[in-house]
Amino acid sequence: MSSYDPERDPVRMAGRVLRWAGPWVVLPAAIGVLVSGNIDLRSIPVVGPERMTAVLLLDGQAYFGHLDDSGESGTLVLRDAYYFQDAKNGPTNLPVGLVRRGGEAHEPADGMRINRDKVLALEQVGAFSPVALAIQAERQLARLSSPLLTLNRAAIASPNIVAVQRVAAEHDIQRAHIAAVGQLVKLNELVLPISKAEAQVITDRTIADFRTVRRNALAALGSALGLSSAETDTYVRTTDTQLEGQGFASDAGVLLAPDLNVIVNRAAQLYTQVGDAAAKQLTQARPTASPTPTSRP
Amino acid sequence: MRNVGIAILVFFGALLFTQWWDFTLPSLGRAEYQAVFLANGQTYFGRYYDRVGAYAKIEDIYYLQQTLGTDPDQAAETKLIRRGKELHAPAARMLVPKSSILFVEDLTDASPIAQFMKQDRR
Repeated sequence: MSSYDPERDPVRMAGRVLRWAGPWVVLPAAIGVLVSGNIDLRSIPVVGPERMTAVLLLDGQAYFGHLDDSGESGTLVLRDAYYFQDAKNGPTNLPVGLVRRGGEAHEPADGMRINRDKVLALEQVGAFSPVALAIQAERQLARLSSPLLTLNRAAIASPNIVAVQRVAAEHDIQRAHIAAVGQLVKLNELVLPISKAEAQVITDRTIADFRTVRRNALAALGSALGLSSAETDTYVRTTDTQLEGQGFASDAGVLLAPDLNVIVNRAAQLYTQVGDAAAKQLTQARPTASPTPTSRP
Repeated sequence: MRNVGIAILVFFGALLFTQWWDFTLPSLGRAEYQAVFLANGQTYFGRYYDRVGAYAKIEDIYYLQQTLGTDPDQAAETKLIRRGKELHAPAARMLVPKSSILFVEDLTDASPIAQFMKQDRR
């Protein structure tokens, strides 16, 4: 009589363990590794805070947005992308301004495909960083919203953040205004080829033009903030009066939402144009009437 | 039911382990800090980890910044800056494509940069 018991056969036992471990251990472990490789526990898809990535390129440019790096094609896809633009001579007290990708001359669609070989580094953007707050404010101003089903829900700025952005934009507009007026005053201190009375007329008119630029910029700001035309009128009147004479030179720079940044830059450009036109008028001598030639000596 | 419980435990165990592990490859006998020289000429100092896949990881990053003074005859001032206070307030972990890395060097304990980083982290 054989003492062989198939239930105790080591090979059969090993086979049973392996058959059991496949679906209940190996598969869940593999899924766990796969899921973990594509998520960050600090910003879990669907329920966690927004996950925004900074993509630094070899050429020095930096793009911020929602990164999809799950493919093996050697290409990263960056959606809802923003980037820095030089703003060293701007009124924002910051060396850069933020721009939303999509408004360029070729109007690119959402979704930049970036060659991984041209990427220098990837970093997680801080949730309360100036870049993140400016992007959140932009979404609020542009009334952008996430689709209902998304793994990485875009954060929208609270009214407080938008208020901080509005005040910073007002101060930037006023700083550019003060700089333009300062240039005009300096110009008046020079020896000019026109009379003092003429210079005063040009200066007064230019200062009035500067104020018009400021009012128009504030009106654009009110419109961007979603105010009605009546609310915008009131906002422009009160803010224009509050800003008059203020300097804000020592304000810490606030990175503006791209839509607000455009308004501030446009105002700065107009101040320069108006100032340049005034400088031309102040520094050019008026043509004097030449004597009429006569036939008599 | 018992099997489902085990599967759930294994799933979360693997998930947490992978988050902690972060696909880094062990490197025995290396220094605490490394200098990572990148293809664009930039050098980052920090804890360098080789990883499975296309990216390496650098943590607790510092970099050199040169500031020119108003006097053109004066030499530029060089500062070691801890990464994190930039406008996008990056997290301490940076992923760098391996194709962008020229080379990596260990910093000795006597290195002034390593000593500064040790002191700064306290």
